[in-house]
Amino acid sequence: MSSENKILTTDGLPLEVSLKKAEKRNKIKAFLLVAPLLLFLLITYIFPIGEMFTRSIDDRMITNMLPKTFESMKKWDGKELPPEEVYRSFYEDYKILAEKKVHGKLGQRLNKEKNGFNSILKRLFRKVKSNQIDESKSIKEQIIKIHKHYRNVDYWRAIKRTAPPYTINKYLKGMDMYLDEDGNVAQVSEDRRIHRILWLRTLEIALFVTIFCFLMGYPIAHLLATLPMKYSNLLMICVLLPFWTSLLVRTASWMILLQQQGLVNDFFVMIGLVADDSRPEMMYNKVGTYVAMTQILLPFMVLPLYSVMKTISPSLMRAGKSLGGTPFVAFWKVYFPLTIPGIGAGCLLVFILAIGYYITPALVGGASGTLISNQIAFHMKQTLDWSFASAMGLMLLTGVLVIYWIYNKLVGVDNIKLG
Amino acid sequence: MRKLSKLLLALSFVVSVTSSAFAVTVASWGGAYTESQKLGYGDPTAKALGIEINWVDYSGGLSEIKAQKEAGAITWDIIDLFAFDTINGCDEGLFVEFDFDKDFPAAPDGTPASEDFFTGMPSKCAVGNILYSWNYAFDTRAFSGAEPKTIKDFFDTKKFPGKRAIYKSALTNLEIALAADGVKMGKGGDRLYRFMEEKDGYIDRAMNKVKALCEDPNGGCVFWSAGAQPPELLVAGEVVMATGWNGRFFNAEVGEGAPIKQVWDGQGLDYEYFALVKGGPDEANAKKALAMMTNTEMLAGSAKYIAYAPWRKSSLEIIKAGEPWYKDGKTEMMPQMPTAPANTKNYFLVDPFFWADYGTEIGEKWEAMKAGLN
Repeated sequence: MSSENKILTTDGLPLEVSLKKAEKRNKIKAFLLVAPLLLFLLITYIFPIGEMFTRSIDDRMITNMLPKTFESMKKWDGKELPPEEVYRSFYEDYKILAEKKVHGKLGQRLNKEKNGFNSILKRLFRKVKSNQIDESKSIKEQIIKIHKHYRNVDYWRAIKRTAPPYTINKYLKGMDMYLDEDGNVAQVSEDRRIHRILWLRTLEIALFVTIFCFLMGYPIAHLLATLPMKYSNLLMICVLLPFWTSLLVRTASWMILLQQQGLVNDFFVMIGLVADDSRPEMMYNKVGTYVAMTQILLPFMVLPLYSVMKTISPSLMRAGKSLGGTPFVAFWKVYFPLTIPGIGAGCLLVFILAIGYYITPALVGGASGTLISNQIAFHMKQTLDWSFASAMGLMLLTGVLVIYWIYNKLVGVDNIKLG
Repeated sequence: MRKLSKLLLALSFVVSVTSSAFAVTVASWGGAYTESQKLGYGDPTAKALGIEINWVDYSGGLSEIKAQKEAGAITWDIIDLFAFDTINGCDEGLFVEFDFDKDFPAAPDGTPASEDFFTGMPSKCAVGNILYSWNYAFDTRAFSGAEPKTIKDFFDTKKFPGKRAIYKSALTNLEIALAADGVKMGKGGDRLYRFMEEKDGYIDRAMNKVKALCEDPNGGCVFWSAGAQPPELLVAGEVVMATGWNGRFFNAEVGEGAPIKQVWDGQGLDYEYFALVKGGPDEANAKKALAMMTNTEMLAGSAKYIAYAPWRKSSLEIIKAGEPWYKDGKTEMMPQMPTAPANTKNYFLVDPFFWADYGTEIGEKWEAMKAGLN
């Protein structure tokens, strides 16, 4: 087609070009409309996750602090105590750090790798500061005299492990493993394997809470959707009321209700259900966690279910019944499939919220009240091992994404409906 | 990336900076404790120096101040914290190092500050504020005959059946377990810590002792996490004995008349400190305020409101002279102090260095032990 035959608009431009222009302008407008949201997501979501990721693998600080030590450790096989050369370069590196007054950070970092490091480094610091180390003699002899840990090869192995500037060690630690000095993945000693237990416990609790929420939330949502407006509004307020109460208050009230000398147990004893000296334990164990968390998360299940059920016409059930189905068959074949989008949304919401809970389990869960999020908080606040906390946070996030992916495969994300 | 992150963090603190300019901001634990600090020495100091002192609540740990520093927008001047936090914070370079005799006023009789302190500071960045105790209390309704008197009784489920409440983490639990298992504490508990640090098997021995108590059908454990829990668990009849902080027990026992009684044998003395933030918004005034708040008279003031002992020995003289010192005007405070001679016959000083160094590994073992409880 030649250019003369092109259809022109009133201002003399070819229609094609003019259309493209208009489309482009529309696209920009549309983009500008969503730009604030995009920016918001970028700043509050993508960026912090990226930052967390770098933090979890970045170990450059120590690599820069002990350059000579790592250089001389390359030749050391890690089987027995390192040679004089390693001790000497470590001493030289440490002296520089002490002069710059940043030796404290090294102690902090190494103590995370192997507990007890900080205090033996402080002993070394006192020697270095008072010039008690004679550089013309064997440094090794002098250092191992400071504390018996310096004669323990484990401590030197710990230093060697921190050599690479980037490391996946924190992720391995989150699964009770570590990279040994030969670069193989090894298990930590049995009496310290705690993270795997915590992961499983976190998943277990989140799963059961989701199931309980579903079992309790489904009938409530159904009732809400089918009752006449004046009753359902009242019921709705009852569902929402916990939303407006502080989390801690709700947790504390469950403690008052469920403890062994609590109201529920008192009532059981009063009606003669149990004997006074054999009151069941409903608090400071998993039962307490399940009860409190289910109640707290219930609205997150009820609301999506309700909004989906509200859109299902009651005539569908009647049609099912008039076509010969028993009430159950009509429910199972007609009503239930229509509520699946709501179930999906509710279950995902509850599960994801439950997986990150930690205050409630810590208060009501007793010995089983430590979850993976407690561990994250512990390392954030107490040990200041932020890289480990970041690694565990990302592992948790990955877990959630995997569950989302499985859900997508099984049910399909398009089937999620919040209203 | 780094720059952007700094900018973002800075942005989030800007609001709080602008609202707290030209005032000294102290971060503390809140509740009755902060109240005692505010009334005892905060307000008098602010008045005397003609500055404003703001109290903000936080829940312990160094994460907030570290985040503020990384953002380059520090909003706190003074922080009230545990010993191991002052050690870690000092190592991380977050706090100002003190020259105690120069930076803090001497006692009224001229004793230099460093000698007036109850004991040495754990780091150069810490100045003592109060001493409190990890002791235990029992429900007076639970035992008709003999009453628990020693730390061994806490673990003796034959003589004193019933559930116990203990702290959720290993801190102080290992110490009392060893003491109850027959290990002599030594002066201020130094033997306990030396054994745990240097000899094999002592940490496991302590854990097994706790485990045995928790699995005992006549015993059993409830783990508490918030300071308000132990007296509540006792009053509710949920447990018969509970470890806890003596100030909380005092409040329940004296303030509210709860049927509980404290046992001081085997108590762990622990400290609370102030640290001065390096590069805080008003460092000069904060330093002045800190020196005044921790002087003899001011520290004695806080003991009017809570049963924690002041860090300065000379403060005790003021309390003694002013008895009954408690705000109700009739309770004598000296016998309630964790440092009273009758209460320190058998005690240990909670060792912050031990816990700063070995806390993580012990914590992992502790959680593994708890996970194995049936």
